[in-house]
Amino acid sequence: MAQAAGLPQASTASGQPYVSKLVLLGSSSVGKTSLALRYMKQDFSNVLPTVGCAFFTKVLDLGSSSLKLEIWDTAGQEKYQSVCHLYFRGANAALLVYDITRKDSFHKAQQWLEDLEKEFQPGEVVVMLVGNKTDLGEEREVTFQEGKEFAESKSLLFMETSAKLNYQVSEIFNTVAQELLQRAGDTGSSRPQEGEAVALNQEPPIRQRQCCAR
Amino acid sequence: MSLKSERRGIHVDQSELLCKKGCGYYGNPAWQGFCSKCWREEYHKARQRQIQEDWELAERLQREEEEAFASSQSSQGAQSLTFSKFEEKKTNEKTRKVTTVKKFFSASSRAGSKKEIQEAKAPSPSINRQTSIETDRVTKEFIDFLKTFHKTGQEVYKQTKMFLEAMPYKRDLSIEEQSECTQDFYQNVAERMQTRGKVPPEKVEKIMDQIEKHIMTRLYKFVFCPETTDDEKKDLAIQKRIRALHWVTPQMLCVPVNEEIPEVSDMVVKAITDIIEMDSKRVPRDKLACITRCSKHIFNAIKITKNEPASADDFLPTLIYIVLKGNPPRLQSNIQYITRFCNPSRLMTGEDGYYFTNLCCAVAFIEKLDAQSLNLSQEDFDRYMSGQTSPRKQESESWPPEACLGVKQMYKNLDLLSQLNERQERIMNEAKKLEKDLIDWTDGIAKEVQDIVEKYPLEIKPPNQPLAAIDSENVENDKLPPPLQPQVYAG
Repeated sequence: MAQAAGLPQASTASGQPYVSKLVLLGSSSVGKTSLALRYMKQDFSNVLPTVGCAFFTKVLDLGSSSLKLEIWDTAGQEKYQSVCHLYFRGANAALLVYDITRKDSFHKAQQWLEDLEKEFQPGEVVVMLVGNKTDLGEEREVTFQEGKEFAESKSLLFMETSAKLNYQVSEIFNTVAQELLQRAGDTGSSRPQEGEAVALNQEPPIRQRQCCAR
Repeated sequence: MSLKSERRGIHVDQSELLCKKGCGYYGNPAWQGFCSKCWREEYHKARQRQIQEDWELAERLQREEEEAFASSQSSQGAQSLTFSKFEEKKTNEKTRKVTTVKKFFSASSRAGSKKEIQEAKAPSPSINRQTSIETDRVTKEFIDFLKTFHKTGQEVYKQTKMFLEAMPYKRDLSIEEQSECTQDFYQNVAERMQTRGKVPPEKVEKIMDQIEKHIMTRLYKFVFCPETTDDEKKDLAIQKRIRALHWVTPQMLCVPVNEEIPEVSDMVVKAITDIIEMDSKRVPRDKLACITRCSKHIFNAIKITKNEPASADDFLPTLIYIVLKGNPPRLQSNIQYITRFCNPSRLMTGEDGYYFTNLCCAVAFIEKLDAQSLNLSQEDFDRYMSGQTSPRKQESESWPPEACLGVKQMYKNLDLLSQLNERQERIMNEAKKLEKDLIDWTDGIAKEVQDIVEKYPLEIKPPNQPLAAIDSENVENDKLPPPLQPQVYAG
């Protein structure tokens, strides 16, 4: 497991960082794992996991408070989409990643968003749409404008990145982290609530509370 | 899979896991190989027998006691002998938990009470002893651990004790309600430690782990796979499903693992061992640890095969393959138990939570698995599921160069045999079809003839005048020359 141990762990008033769960969603081969790897790698070459690249944690120092970000990678193949709603439970944020050179992956990201909307109430999770592989600009099938317009229509955050060139990779995670802290502050809670026990292999219950609602 | 990895594999005979009575549900060593239902029946029968025997024994003891008393009145000398005999008998019976007649009757009078029924649920004394030893050990560890926290430790111990004392009265509640009580208890204890005790978060986590271990070791036998739920039925369903999918190959699931590599094969075996071992643990956290260890072995197997760290796209299919290959016992019961009684923060966050979620995804996928999921045609999928045929073995070209020639030849021959078998089946089917066609054709012809005969019946009309002799009109017959006579020539 990648633990960013070298980062200064600025604390909240209660003396511990907020813990937030972020899920990476998107089709196979859009670069979800590459984004997470690049984000973990840039500050510390020694924090890379020795075994798998599916679960990472990193403590972010965001001025007055700190946030422990847990990054959950998910299987993007079409056949697993029916079971992937199980990853959403207790999530505070989601990155919907698509490949700008593949229109189908952009449509798939829209389907992932529909799945998220079934699971959460509006504003309950921070969702960012991420167009990856900007280094392959000449093969582009999804324009920046298309991505931006879709994100605005659904009130999502939006950015384009290149994991290969390390372009705007930190920015996407930092922006999400800032938004999470801001929402946590807006709700007036000193800490995000712990998730209640849920049956992970059953249909989602109707959510009564809002972890990170505006 | 190679012969080598086949040999390395874990061979747990399914019959060893099932109930001895053959009802189809899982057995349990704690219940002498029976499932919960059969065990209850067996135990109840044994108990009734015991009660009957005890009644008879009590009556006999009472008679002997009266006789001993009577004889002691008549002769002082004989008294000591009879009494010593009686004492000896009494001592013998003590080992069977029968001390006095009075105690006996008071015990048997409660035969039908609720307490008796609850006792019938409990395992045999030897198992109880074993359980109590483990419980005592865990309790001792818990107390020793809390001693280091002084006042907070005392407070936690008091709360935990109160919770454990209250739980037996909640056994009539549904398992979901019991789960809710446990989760509320976890939350309250954690909050009290943070607000009142000002305990640092990392210490709170450690204490919570110990609390979970302590209470779940005690509650395990009452809350794991309870009779009020259909967990056992779900276990059986997923077990049957996995058995029916025994033919699924790594290629079908796009598993990036090459079991020909010995290290990879070892990792696969270790992963299967860990997922099977999960059932033997009592504490949800320990079960989660087994899942995490299994996942780490899977990641290692993928890393060795691909020479790069694995992503979730690689991991989930491999986990599905491991579950299919291992067919872990009481899989649904274990998942439900973890979900109901594990500290909630562990399930939805953290590494353990991540791997547990993946296991839930794997099980959900197996339940929904269809032809499309394996990139097969519906026809092939149905044939494999019904056991009519199985996927063809790997072609000899795919064997690594260092593989044994004999093994290669054997698989080649097996492949040829299976092809011949298919051809023979095809010929047989065609022959049967031809035979059927011939029978149909002859039947058809016969029917057509019959139809024509019925449509145009053959009518034989009687003649208008009687038939005369052919030569009746030859009146000149008598004028004919006589017939030639044979001539005999000497010569």
